[in-house]
Amino acid sequence: MIRYEFLMQIRKRSLWISMGLLAVITVLGQGDAGPRYLPDDASARVVASSWAFLWSLLLPIVAGMVLADRLVRDDRLGVSRLLESLPTTATTRVMGRFLGALAATATPIFLATVIAGGAESISREDPAVLLWTPIAFGLVLLPGLVFVGAFAMVVPLLLTAPLFRVLFVGYWFWGNMLGPSYMPSLAGTLLTPVGDYTASWLLGERALYAGADGWLQLLRPEPNGVTAALSVALLLGVGLIPLLVGSRVLARRATA
Amino acid sequence: MRAVLTDVSSPLLWRYESRRVGVAAQAAPAAALAVTLLLTAFTANAGGSRADIERLLLTGLEAVVPLAVAVATVTVITRDRCRELHLALPVRYVTTLGRRLATLVGAAAATAVIYSAALVATGWWSGPAAPASPLVWVPPLLALGGLAMILTVVGRSVVLASSGVAATWLAQQLYAASLASHAGSRPFFLFLTSRYGTGEGWLLNRFALTVTGLCLLAVAVTALSRPGAAPGEEEQ
Repeated sequence: MIRYEFLMQIRKRSLWISMGLLAVITVLGQGDAGPRYLPDDASARVVASSWAFLWSLLLPIVAGMVLADRLVRDDRLGVSRLLESLPTTATTRVMGRFLGALAATATPIFLATVIAGGAESISREDPAVLLWTPIAFGLVLLPGLVFVGAFAMVVPLLLTAPLFRVLFVGYWFWGNMLGPSYMPSLAGTLLTPVGDYTASWLLGERALYAGADGWLQLLRPEPNGVTAALSVALLLGVGLIPLLVGSRVLARRATA
Repeated sequence: MRAVLTDVSSPLLWRYESRRVGVAAQAAPAAALAVTLLLTAFTANAGGSRADIERLLLTGLEAVVPLAVAVATVTVITRDRCRELHLALPVRYVTTLGRRLATLVGAAAATAVIYSAALVATGWWSGPAAPASPLVWVPPLLALGGLAMILTVVGRSVVLASSGVAATWLAQQLYAASLASHAGSRPFFLFLTSRYGTGEGWLLNRFALTVTGLCLLAVAVTALSRPGAAPGEEEQ
């Protein structure tokens, strides 16, 4: 199931076109603080992490949009009952789809990270940048993608895909990029899927708002190795909740 | 048959189109505004200043309602499973789609007017004079809605169109300062009222956004007039 879901998703042209266009826009609009303008003597770890963090600002939006219809489309296509007749549980179906679709959706983002890492590696004559690239991807981008992907797959079952997409865009801005001093926001907390804590730890300085004073102060410790690991664990753990809820919803529908 | 399909004064026709659009799409602007009000309540509870609260309330009208309509537009265009049947009817498909989008925009407009009136009545309105209040949300709605339509028709994909709208909206929020400070980009900045008020260049901005939106809509309608131009949810 994971393989089929992966192949189905990876062949989606819109996934590649959307990711490609947004990646180009992100690179062009990164501004003076972007990784393209890092000093020549910046360490490989900082360069790779800066690129991973830059991708994490906007590319997960496409991931959320793509994954929003993976479960609801079964009803639309009228294949729900057919899938329910298979000798698998609802949990297996949800997890299989989640892992396959997420792996496929993360592939263009991983490629963007590798391309940026490769280019930096060549221009800086430092192969270590390429070695740090998968590490930065795994720590900065992947936990957020798991978190976003899980909610994007399951919440449309309850809210419908269009409503989810509207709220998701608003959430992404509010929960990641809106300064916590302006209004109560999840931005800068351990539950920030943009990878603020891990990026801050890898960069050695605050990437965005990690640890800044604000709402839910308990979730805003100083960014360091331990709190970065805690952030990853929280994102993965909380990401499991919608998957379990989705399994229950599908199981209940099957027996209704 | 033709009379039934073209009698725009028939409540039955509008009720049918409204049902085709779906409750979720029509309720999206109201739901998004409800979330904005919830966040505003959080901000007020956390000791936010009156200026911040007023700006947040105006953001709901200027930024959130147009976003909801734009994303819902993508859905309305792509969810139709009977397009081939439409092409066989004596009414152009683009006319039918226009009626459906009118019900969507109508619901959003009613929500926005009630919301604006409530803000004016309660003293939380910080936009232009009340008669000009539609200028807060109509121009960005036209611009973002037009962009949604053109991306859906040209890109032939829900994901591409939704991501394009989302990226434009987020980019305008993230680069608000630089977009508003340059003379070339200021007329096309979607959130001028809620970010910088109704000062210099505001009317030009509203005019430019309206014209841009109408041009995008005109191009999208022209493209949709070609048989089979509209994409479906599985044509991705």
